[in-house]
Amino acid sequence: MPRAAVIRFPGSNCEFETARVLKRSGIDSRIYNWNDIDLLSYDRADAYVLPGGFSFQDRIRAGVIASRESIMDLIFEEAVNGKPILGICNGAQVLLESGLVPGWKPGSVQAALAGNLAPGRSGYLSGWVNLKAEPEAISKCPWLCAMTEEPIPVPIAHAEGRFVFREEDIKKVKNHIGLTYCGESGTPADGWPENPNGSTLDIAALMNTEGNVLAMMPHPERCFNLWQVPPGMDGPWGELRRNSSMKDIEEHPGPGAVIFKSLAKYLGVE
Amino acid sequence: MSEIPNRDELRNEVTSRGLAMTIEEAEKLAGYVNRMPTPLEFHLFDTMWSEHCSYKSSKPVLKTLPTDSPGVVIGPGEDAGVVSFCRHDGREWDLVVAHESHNHPSQVLPVEGAATGVGGIVRDVYCMGARVTGSMDLLRFGNPEGSTGETTRGIVRGVVEGIWKYGNALGVPNMGGDTEFHPGYNDNCLVNVVAFGVVPHDRVVHSFVPEEAHKEPYVLILTGKPTDDTGFGGATFASADLDGEQGMGSVQVADPFLKRVLSEANQAVLDMLFEKGIKFGFKDLGAGGIACVTSELAAHGGLGIDVDLDAVPVSIQNLPPEVIACSETQERYGLAVPASVADDVLSVYNEKFELPRLFPHCRAAIIGRFNSKPVYNVVCRGSNAAETPINYITEGVVYEREESPVENNLPEPAERPCDPTADLTKILTSISGCSREHIWSYYDSEVQGATRLRPGEADSCVSVPVEGSRAGLAVSGDGNPWYGELDPFLGGAHAVGEAVRNVVATGATPICATDCLNFGNPEDPKAFWQFKQSVAGIAEACNALGFSGADYPLPIVSGNVSFYNQSTGGKAIPPSPIVAVFGKIHDHRKATDIVLRKEDNLILLVGTRKDELGGSLFYRTCLDYHGGTVPVFRGSLEKRMAEWVLGVVHENRAHSVHDISGGGLAVAGAEMALASKKLGIKFSLDSNPVTLFSETPGYLLEVDPRFVEDTTLPEFVSVAGTVCRGCSVSGNGWSVDLASLRKEWSDKLASVIWREEGV
Repeated sequence: MPRAAVIRFPGSNCEFETARVLKRSGIDSRIYNWNDIDLLSYDRADAYVLPGGFSFQDRIRAGVIASRESIMDLIFEEAVNGKPILGICNGAQVLLESGLVPGWKPGSVQAALAGNLAPGRSGYLSGWVNLKAEPEAISKCPWLCAMTEEPIPVPIAHAEGRFVFREEDIKKVKNHIGLTYCGESGTPADGWPENPNGSTLDIAALMNTEGNVLAMMPHPERCFNLWQVPPGMDGPWGELRRNSSMKDIEEHPGPGAVIFKSLAKYLGVE
Repeated sequence: MSEIPNRDELRNEVTSRGLAMTIEEAEKLAGYVNRMPTPLEFHLFDTMWSEHCSYKSSKPVLKTLPTDSPGVVIGPGEDAGVVSFCRHDGREWDLVVAHESHNHPSQVLPVEGAATGVGGIVRDVYCMGARVTGSMDLLRFGNPEGSTGETTRGIVRGVVEGIWKYGNALGVPNMGGDTEFHPGYNDNCLVNVVAFGVVPHDRVVHSFVPEEAHKEPYVLILTGKPTDDTGFGGATFASADLDGEQGMGSVQVADPFLKRVLSEANQAVLDMLFEKGIKFGFKDLGAGGIACVTSELAAHGGLGIDVDLDAVPVSIQNLPPEVIACSETQERYGLAVPASVADDVLSVYNEKFELPRLFPHCRAAIIGRFNSKPVYNVVCRGSNAAETPINYITEGVVYEREESPVENNLPEPAERPCDPTADLTKILTSISGCSREHIWSYYDSEVQGATRLRPGEADSCVSVPVEGSRAGLAVSGDGNPWYGELDPFLGGAHAVGEAVRNVVATGATPICATDCLNFGNPEDPKAFWQFKQSVAGIAEACNALGFSGADYPLPIVSGNVSFYNQSTGGKAIPPSPIVAVFGKIHDHRKATDIVLRKEDNLILLVGTRKDELGGSLFYRTCLDYHGGTVPVFRGSLEKRMAEWVLGVVHENRAHSVHDISGGGLAVAGAEMALASKKLGIKFSLDSNPVTLFSETPGYLLEVDPRFVEDTTLPEFVSVAGTVCRGCSVSGNGWSVDLASLRKEWSDKLASVIWREEGV
């Protein structure tokens, strides 16, 4: 069975559910502490996940201190080796701060996740959004390869999720888009709240050039099961949730499962 | 200092140290130690004898609450209550629940006060060995629109910010709660916090040094944040009337990051101790800091202890011994373990989890040794800072307070004009009746990946807390200040009743409850009478609403009393008993929510409407009238209604369920439609204020039309309407288009309270 390593930094808080959904997808997963470097160097894994949370209390900037931890040298090495690497929420912030995504200049920070921009509010925002995968991303990203053109609803929970870039880089960015925020039927996001944080080009997840490293703000591990979908939600997933039998509500995969199913498919899990 | 001091000498000490203890109490203390008490002894006993810690006014009254039921593992007395929850994979799992107030600090410093409120309550659950799987905040604020509105708005924003900044970072999902506004809270907001978690039954940890410490040497390890001077005198601050901004220095400073790392480190330590089969004691540091944790761990295990304050990791040098011992620095725990494993424990904290690298001056350290001499002995910089017979510390004090009834017989209004369309619109767009969504939108209710129903989707939040098990946990907290104000007994009884209904509406059977009793100054006979009335109301409701078979009550397993919720110049708050109820749904797949499912389904009304609109949203919002008869609490009917609803849900025949409370049947129907977005309800009832707006307890149930053909409805159930297409609610001669009202309903709170932020 392929193996995934979930890296816990001080202040991570989504490591358990992330490890759990990987297991449920047929991938053996294990949580490693930030200082289990020797152990992880020895074990290695077929994929790596940096889970959500508030690593190092978001001191200075979200993700910046964790990105300087020694264990990131190992993640860097594995990224270069082409191993699939996923950062969710705070994990995405760590990937951007480490320069792995978008990865134009290894080791140098090329993009940022800035504070949410929403009318009349600041700070944290929890809620559900719709996401759509870019066709090119489906073909080259191991975390998206099982996706279709159909949008999926996924929850967000962050205060700094707005992808921002240098003006001159915007053109290059387009080749790195993994997921965008969109309307319920897949139409481009019509401002807030479909784009919940003012992210540039409605970006919800950004890849490196090769596509093996994905920095994703929404939380697919929180909607792995159909029973986690809100009962009042619009669209086909809401419909499915409301009309599901007791058997289906437990056994039917939730909208976020496709991210982990993608990895399973990529790693050849039957 | 060897002679017994006289009254004047004691009075000088008490005054100059700013203590809350009475002269009689100071004399009692001097008698215990047979000399002038040391500063540390003064502060230690001042804390232990404070209302907050000793329950000296409330203890005799609290004894009247039912606490016993077959599922109760640990009732009131330890840091949290424990009840059995489910069996999974051959293992018994328990539910751990705790409930507290953090009112005074939140009024003075809202962000820090509310944050440390969450921080304190989760520690109580963690220290029973549990993983915390949820928290809930029950908030009471003044009028955000009135003359003091600006202050209140700032407090609301600060409290919400404190809650999200702490809870979200800690990774504990917010499982709702409620928010009420009443001018009686203008000078004293209430921030009640509830936390809960699960633990395997054989891994429940106690907060005292174990038996084994009589046979082999045990040490006390202090872990967590380095001690500073924050929160010095916190318990005393909570036990006096609030006087302006005084007491700011008594508010603690929270650190969710450190708490998160500590929680995992604690779990690793507990895992190690359980694996080795070692007995230990574990307790969090709250009121009274090191002094309380060391003396209580020892005294409750029948031992004495030598504490070395020089061994305490501190972040400020040269603090006086009484500050090191009694400050309420957050994020600390005390652990009583055999000396032989102390090094292993220290290495988990200091090496595996690298506390010293993550936080300046932070580390776990041995600060005390237990012994068989029944003395509490503290040494600091070579001299004795305390030397007291240890049993006196935990013995406590009790007072019999006087009571005097408050007459509040306000008549019914002379006239009750009613225009259902206009009145319902007015209620739904009022500050009391509008959506609380803007508040929840700051809270993370899904971290841990076990959330089944979030705030707003059902009458209570539901989670699936034991991995792999289908057992669902439903939680709700309630308390209506408008009822409490008119009738404190009914305020207490309906707090239980409504929380029970909210849990039942999701298909969960109530298994236990907690309470937080928020009142004015207990030395005022009127406030004390209100307190006694509310406790009697809670007791009556709990005795009527047990679901464990036979005559067992719904047990109160943990709680807190918060007196002195009044400012020195102003009025006391309305009597505010707040109750949380915890329910279990055997198979979470059967859980029901408030979202309407299908056009032409029938809406059943459970609970015949009565003319009892006192304290109702209709009187307050539409008639601007603040009197009348509060709904009667009908215990046996409430229980029969709950059992009937549970039966329908368990047979999978209820498509959606919503309880009837604030705003009555019309508001309950509107809320179901608003949650459904594309469906609504057409009521077939008379359009009078009693039918539409009376808050007589009850439920609305959505069922298939065939249900009424093959089921005999009990006398308290009738058909009230049908589900219709379109987001609206209507009846004979009235109709409210909720699709067009939605924006105002959902934005109202933000537009009033967050207006200073440009909403």
